Amino acid sequence: MKDFHLNIGPFKKHNNSTNKNMVHLLIALLPIILFSFYKNGIIPYNKGYINFVEMFNPLLFILIPTITSFLIEVLYALFFLKKKKDGLKKYLSSSFSIFPGLFLGLILPINTPISIVIFGAFMATFVGKLLFGGFGNNIFNPALIGRLFIISSYAVVISKNGGYLNQYELDTLSLATPLSNASLVSGIGTYETLVLPYGSLWNFFIGMIPGSLGEVSALLCIVGFIYLTITKVIKWKIPTMYILTVFLMTYMIGSINGLGIWYPLFQIFSGGLMFGAVFMATDPVTSPTTPIGQVLYGLFLGILTVVFRYLTPFPEGVLTSILTMNMMVFIIDRIGAKARFSFKKAIIPFLIAWFLIIVVSGFIGNSFKADSTVKDSNFNIISKEIIENNTNYVVTQKGYSGLLKGNIIIDNGKIVSIEIIEQNESFYQKIVDEKYIEKLVSYQKNLNNLDTVSGATVTSRALKQMIINVLNDYNGTDFKEDNNSNFQVMSSKEENGKIIYEVRQQSFGGNLDLKITFENAIIESITVIEQSDSYFNLIIDNNYIQKLIENQQRLDNVDSISGATISSDSLRKAVINTKKEYDKTYGK
Amino acid sequence: MIVGTKIDAGKELTKKRKLNFFTRPKYVYIPLISGDDRNITTVVKKGDYIYKGSIVAKRKGNFRLPIHSSVSGVVIDFVEKKYIDGTLVKCVVIENDFKEKIEEKQAVRNKINNFSHEEFVSRLQECGIIGMGGFGFPTYVKYNTNKKLKTLIVNAVECEPYITADFVLIKEKCEEILEAIDAIMEINGIKECFIGVKKDTTINELFENYLGTYPKIKLVTLPNIYPIGWEKNLVKYIKNINYRTTPLEKGIVVNNISTIYAIYEALKYNKPLIERIVTFTGDMLKNPQNVYVKIGTPVKDVIEAIGGYKRNKDVVICAGGPMMGSSIADDDFVIASNLNCVLVMKKLNKEKSLECFRCGKCVSICPSKLSPVLIKDSLSKVESLTGLNADKCIECGLCSYVCPSKINIRECVKEAKTLIKKEGNGKK
Repeated sequence: MKDFHLNIGPFKKHNNSTNKNMVHLLIALLPIILFSFYKNGIIPYNKGYINFVEMFNPLLFILIPTITSFLIEVLYALFFLKKKKDGLKKYLSSSFSIFPGLFLGLILPINTPISIVIFGAFMATFVGKLLFGGFGNNIFNPALIGRLFIISSYAVVISKNGGYLNQYELDTLSLATPLSNASLVSGIGTYETLVLPYGSLWNFFIGMIPGSLGEVSALLCIVGFIYLTITKVIKWKIPTMYILTVFLMTYMIGSINGLGIWYPLFQIFSGGLMFGAVFMATDPVTSPTTPIGQVLYGLFLGILTVVFRYLTPFPEGVLTSILTMNMMVFIIDRIGAKARFSFKKAIIPFLIAWFLIIVVSGFIGNSFKADSTVKDSNFNIISKEIIENNTNYVVTQKGYSGLLKGNIIIDNGKIVSIEIIEQNESFYQKIVDEKYIEKLVSYQKNLNNLDTVSGATVTSRALKQMIINVLNDYNGTDFKEDNNSNFQVMSSKEENGKIIYEVRQQSFGGNLDLKITFENAIIESITVIEQSDSYFNLIIDNNYIQKLIENQQRLDNVDSISGATISSDSLRKAVINTKKEYDKTYGK
Repeated sequence: MIVGTKIDAGKELTKKRKLNFFTRPKYVYIPLISGDDRNITTVVKKGDYIYKGSIVAKRKGNFRLPIHSSVSGVVIDFVEKKYIDGTLVKCVVIENDFKEKIEEKQAVRNKINNFSHEEFVSRLQECGIIGMGGFGFPTYVKYNTNKKLKTLIVNAVECEPYITADFVLIKEKCEEILEAIDAIMEINGIKECFIGVKKDTTINELFENYLGTYPKIKLVTLPNIYPIGWEKNLVKYIKNINYRTTPLEKGIVVNNISTIYAIYEALKYNKPLIERIVTFTGDMLKNPQNVYVKIGTPVKDVIEAIGGYKRNKDVVICAGGPMMGSSIADDDFVIASNLNCVLVMKKLNKEKSLECFRCGKCVSICPSKLSPVLIKDSLSKVESLTGLNADKCIECGLCSYVCPSKINIRECVKEAKTLIKKEGNGKK
């Protein structure tokens, strides 16, 4: 006798499973994790900024929130599940508990204190996921909820700690992330102010720019996108539409302001947009299920991101726009489901989207145009007195937490004193410690080369901008950097067949005076007459001058000395300039 | 665009096997149901002697249709038997006297294309021809129209896995089928006919051999996706036409190839629909094969006759193919005229379904353009179900098939369908 069982059809099932999908997701994330280990662990270690153990910090930084998320779900299951014994195992195998923490680790600044990371992972898992009813029931992306909590409560602590920059970048770049940099430059920015500080667009593409652990590499995000699309894990329409929309809008904004194709590329490669679009916006639980809904979702994500980036003080926009759109998923899905039968139902949202894309891009693009006549809306001249050759400015500039008021005296076109009369910046002590005001005076001809003070990036940048604005006003023209003005030949004479130059080059701490002796068109000696660089001892320790003499035929290839980058570069430039001068006068 | 997916066929189990006959059941249980209509009047009583092919019951209502006996013998009882949807249905039990007696012999027609349109329609009605592909819709209704019929589409795709009944039928009766198509076209003034087939060399060659005689009949090779055999998909693929409820709106008739053969027998021999080919297959049968059976034969008897089950104790028996068929509590159910397959499989391990994570696969695969996940979410609200067009579900099962969380989401949509129906009836 047979036992007949009742099963519910269909009796053939596709061999995919939620588990497989999640494994694919992990595979797609693996290169990104490894790259963040390479960029934030191996490179700084190789350059000698961190020790061997610290090299593994990036991996730990990702691992710790992952484990935290897992443990929180274990605890949750132990407290709230009825069948504890085999229920726990079953629960954990179907709740995919590691993902909120894993994603959180990938979207946080590297210098977030680990206790805050754990707090964030707790918030992501508990508030973002479990309070809504666990896997499959949450409305908002859990990892983004975690990050929202962290950014809203600890932004100051994190930026004080170094923000997004790893040890190597802190020393060599000391710029913030591309987008916070972009929000500080005057107007819409130029290739020189937006991209060049980070090298080139290629660096943006491969991910050698400051940013969260997992968010920087556009290339690896695209690889992940292709992999996940082929394996049919993600809803590919969302990232495609999202990125295209941002590209289109920033292209329009850029071209209104006369910027080339690099500008939209810069915008889509920065601010974690790629990672957000491919991995966060496609989180299946919190994104639309209908095809038309997914297209609409991507369109509006793009519009919102552009709006947030340009029109609000939050330069990133990806986090905020995804969380905002998460709330709209229900409505979008309704529209998407009905539009499958008659597309008329979706025409209005599409029209709104197109309308917004054109109007918002036009508005933003033109508002920058207006800016270029006003120059800097954060800058105000309170008084301007001209006494003989002296011009005495009293100005204000918007700083990190309020206005910076300064008194600047210009004598014969040269700033002779800067005095900050009023300020209430939280990290002003750093400015004082770094003698930043004094540096501003000595760098006045070369302000673009002056780095910001790490830990007080915004304040120092505002101060620099203030000086630039004052100089602009004084000169009545745009202040432009002129490399050759940093170099001056003081004297040159011939002695016993040798030609001796005395030259002056602007350097880190001020003037760098050198005596360079040529014999038979070959540099025989370089003597430092005067310098005021703080790290000049590193130059001497590294025998840098000797190196320059040895490599005088290929000076362009001599590396600078880390820790004294500017000093060594100035020294090298001085030698190059002198050599040019020699060639000009005496021939080769 | 045709939405569908490629599914491993499993047809090799029965494709190469010869057609078997099981036409001598001891008792037949003629189910008193037509399509899904149970509103039937019986015209016989206990103890009556019944000829093969004479009427035992009549369907009432809009679609009047007789139900015939498939054997000759004595009505011994009326009992409730399991039907192919798993529910109990009243059946007429006839004890077979194995004489195959027919009430009045009719002359066999040499030519079947000299019917008038009215004669043709009433012949189909008298012979109780219904759609043998699945839903059992009365065929005469499709032709009983004043509209000009332009196109006949013959569905020979058999897109559901495992089933090869139509394939075997074509192999045996290719010539007769083409003759019937030609007659139907001539009687109804239809100008063109397309036979939709899968890419299969045997079938193609067979048709090509005979098609020269019938220039109006064209063979269309369809992509191997499920459910390409769904009426809407066929019409869309072959004629690139969309319609709202029935293809008749556009002057198109779609018939299953088994139905065409039944029409042939009705026209030629005046033989009602009392026998058909059923695929008995699945990995738990000793000899999977196609069997020519009488309507009303208990499935149990057929399986016994063809060699029975394999040793395994726990099995699932299913009326219909693996996608659309329904699992039946045991093998004691009767064969109906719209049953094309009996599938016997190992008991499936109960897969625990996980929480839906809204991957949207059921949405993008649905051939009816439904959004099953949204329907599942709003099962409590009938108004929104209507807005989601849940009643358009064709129960093809692709949503459950594709679900990575192994949720039986088709059942949710079916539930929604019944909810909408109830609501609609309530309003009336």
